[in-house]
Amino acid sequence: MHWIDIPENFGFLMKGLLITLKLALISTSGSLIIGVVLGILRHSRLFLISWLAVAYIESVRSIPLILFIVFIHFGALPYLTGEPSSFFDSACIALIIFNSAYIAEIIRSGLNSVEKGHIDAAKSLGLNRIQRLTYIILPLAVSRMTPALVSQFISLIKDTSLASTIGLIELTRSGEIIYERTYHETEILIFIAFVYFLICFGLSKLSILLETKPYMCTENKEPVGANQ
Amino acid sequence: MYNFDASVIIEAMPVLIAGIKITLFISVISAICAFVIGLITVFLRTMGTKPFKFIAVSYVEIIRNTPLLIQLYFVYKALPAFGLMLPPIWCGILALSIYTGAFISEVLRAGINSVASEQYQASISLGLSKFQTFRLVIFPQAIRIIIPPLGSQFINVIKNSSLVSFISVTDLFYSIYKGAVDGFRFFEFFITGALIYMLLTGVIALLTNIFENLFRIQGRTAKA
Repeated sequence: MHWIDIPENFGFLMKGLLITLKLALISTSGSLIIGVVLGILRHSRLFLISWLAVAYIESVRSIPLILFIVFIHFGALPYLTGEPSSFFDSACIALIIFNSAYIAEIIRSGLNSVEKGHIDAAKSLGLNRIQRLTYIILPLAVSRMTPALVSQFISLIKDTSLASTIGLIELTRSGEIIYERTYHETEILIFIAFVYFLICFGLSKLSILLETKPYMCTENKEPVGANQ
Repeated sequence: MYNFDASVIIEAMPVLIAGIKITLFISVISAICAFVIGLITVFLRTMGTKPFKFIAVSYVEIIRNTPLLIQLYFVYKALPAFGLMLPPIWCGILALSIYTGAFISEVLRAGINSVASEQYQASISLGLSKFQTFRLVIFPQAIRIIIPPLGSQFINVIKNSSLVSFISVTDLFYSIYKGAVDGFRFFEFFITGALIYMLLTGVIALLTNIFENLFRIQGRTAKA
């Protein structure tokens, strides 16, 4: 085994990790904004708007991410701007387009999960639309959406590895560059997988810690299951 | 304005159809293998003894928290160092089955947890063994509940199978990409590829709906 490759190239790998994290953070914030807008548009009373939102969400969700990355990088962006696109920008745009559809679905299911009784109660207490949203619906919906949003963020971090295929030197690509030179694929690949694992597993454990109990939840969840 | 030329698609049709065949081949075999792997994993996790449980949990967590691309590269580039040389297409199938198996086992576990624990205790007290309990009581109820998430996992298999083109398998994504770069016809091939993938995943979604209605038991709904 040639584990010495990893400390020798540690700085280079960490530079790649930094770009992976930057890509993940920027595309998460972008897709969160677009996803929220889409999720709300889906609830619109105008048929055309809600239909367009549904069409966008459903079509994006059934196309592989790699198709977006490759064709935004080589097709759409160079055509629209007239010059070669940067790796980072095209990966970012592709990830935002892809993830916003998933986040819109999470937002929608979170908003739908609020029981009608709560809204009726709020109405009868005389709260207006905005107050119902800010005091009743959002606190309940956000606490229920948090686990799904975190797992979507985790899958986005994993998906950033696809940006290596167009040449962005993030964690995966920097590892590839090293093992294309040394031919010690096993060690590098295990190390990269370990780094991804640490980030994603850490985040998923963190989300369990952060998971807040909804303070107005009336449903009583009994522990069920064969293994309990 | 971009001049849209649909004739390049017609010319590339034989290549695309060959790609679809390979994509379907990989997806179907990996979906079946992944289901079997998921079933074994979830059985070990819910009914197994401590060491088996530990193995199952660590398998699921490791696979779920690392990118599929890394796993594909690992199977394709690192396993030959351990003496396992597979043709690229089987490397793709192996990696996809292992990856999806972990996700399917999580889906199955959610289904099993939604079956009331009284039934488990009742069947144990009736003298059924653990495997019989799993096979006769828990599984038939769980599988009905999890048909929709299972269908979405099968859709994910089709989408994820596009990554095998990076380990030199000439699947659908590869043929789309090749057609696009050969003549710089990105928009035509992107739209065609998107439509083909939407068609494939749409068929799975439709089948999921049909199966869900087919296996529904009157008056029984899933616990939230």
